[in-house]
Amino acid sequence: MATFEGREDRGAGFLGARLGPALKSYGDQLIVLLVLFAIWQALSMWLGTYWIGSPWGVAKRFTQDVLDGELLRHASLTLTEAIVGFVIGALPAAALPFLLRRQPIITAILDPFMVGGYGAPKLALAPLFILWFGIGIESKVALVAITVFFIVYFSALAGIRALDAKLVQMAQVVGANERDVARHIVFPGAVPYIFTGFRIAMPYSIGGAVIAELISSNRGLGYLIQLSAMNFDTIGVFVALVATALIVFIGNLTVNVVERWLLRWRPPSDVMLQAAT
Amino acid sequence: MAAQPLLEILGLGKRFATRAGRDPSPWVIQDLSFSVRDGEFLTIIGPSGSGKTTLLNMIAQIDTASGGEIRFQSQAAPISDPKSLNPGLSCKIGYVTQEDNLLPWRTTLQNVLFPLVVQGRLNDETRAHAQMLIRAVGLAGFEDHYPHELSGGMRKRASLIRTLVYDPPVILMDEPFGALDAQTRMQLQEDLLRLWNIGRKTIIFVTHDIAEAIALGDRTLVLTRAPARIAGEHTISIPRPREIRGIMTHPAFAELYQRIRAEVQ
Repeated sequence: MATFEGREDRGAGFLGARLGPALKSYGDQLIVLLVLFAIWQALSMWLGTYWIGSPWGVAKRFTQDVLDGELLRHASLTLTEAIVGFVIGALPAAALPFLLRRQPIITAILDPFMVGGYGAPKLALAPLFILWFGIGIESKVALVAITVFFIVYFSALAGIRALDAKLVQMAQVVGANERDVARHIVFPGAVPYIFTGFRIAMPYSIGGAVIAELISSNRGLGYLIQLSAMNFDTIGVFVALVATALIVFIGNLTVNVVERWLLRWRPPSDVMLQAAT
Repeated sequence: MAAQPLLEILGLGKRFATRAGRDPSPWVIQDLSFSVRDGEFLTIIGPSGSGKTTLLNMIAQIDTASGGEIRFQSQAAPISDPKSLNPGLSCKIGYVTQEDNLLPWRTTLQNVLFPLVVQGRLNDETRAHAQMLIRAVGLAGFEDHYPHELSGGMRKRASLIRTLVYDPPVILMDEPFGALDAQTRMQLQEDLLRLWNIGRKTIIFVTHDIAEAIALGDRTLVLTRAPARIAGEHTISIPRPREIRGIMTHPAFAELYQRIRAEVQ
């Protein structure tokens, strides 16, 4: 237990956003937000709104773009790319270590390639994917999938490796076969690790989609950023960035809710108190 | 009583695998022989590091032996090859380990029912039996709690009845009450004796506590330091049912205690 509690803490701190910590932290977060706005405002006044759009200007444009549906049209495409890519990348990545659990030799053979894939800058693949899959949704989905895959693969692998041999022995003594062990011991034990992987991979999936759009596309938040920058429309850039951040924020809340429900068997100190203290 | 003992340990030996470039690892257990009758409560006592857990692991078939034989119901168990091990020997040998090994993602009730689920024996009757055991050890009201919400003593109780629930004829216990405070420990010893009186299973109970070995057992084996051999064997003639709290004042207790302590180094 102690080992994966420690591990999970790192995941818990990721993005900092957590449901349900003491109300006090909401107040503190509001203060931080106001300070950030103040700095933003000061910078835009100092350097001029030509270079840095003012918060008020961004808020006005944001509302306007939301109301006329333009922002939602771009955001929904980016979100679709991220979700489809996430599913295509994360599910096989979570399943693979289970399938290879009894194949340590194959896992060992794959290891250097997986490490290489994990370490390689996936964003640099974006031009290649656009070459292969065109400027439509496919190239973005491919980039998101490959980015997410390696993160989740290594998390799931860590979960399988952290398996407590004593629990497996206990199960075998009471009559569990190989399938029972996989289903009742290995899988539930790996779920917290897989979720840590999901939590880390989620913002990368949004980021991957946006960057692929930046490079080449005619729709999406990345396209919006690129278009606005080319028109020297810094407010437009900021609006797209705010929308991206919002999507990541909501995505993180979703992961939290699902995780809290799936991992309700864990001591609460992991899930909430850590974030509150 | 059957003519043949239920379980026979014949010349059992164990040494762990050597690492390359090292001297051969010493024997943990060497030439150990004893037998257990059907329905007997055998306690085994020995200094720490005397291979008590290793012995139980071999009997439970989760570890191989380096020599000798284990016969269960007159059948030799396949204990030399790790691939042929049959952990729990087809659900006939239950094992209450030192740690409770409860599954953290299952509630108390789900943990207790776990053996029945994997054995495909979960039905109304076995479920009712499980509920009876939960009440018998005072876990009623905690069925839906997860292990982290239970105290150490409650977790021990849950792990104990998880083994009792599927009714294996032999139960191995490895210092199951070792890490508990004196009060909880005594309570659990009483619970165990009460449950044993209902079912009269064969129990092999390992401990390093002389008083516990006397209070619970029909017979006590004393092991030497590694390599473990039998240093002494004592029949505990204190009549049952026994009162754990008053057992130390029994006239036979002090004498047994002295004799056993002289053998435990």
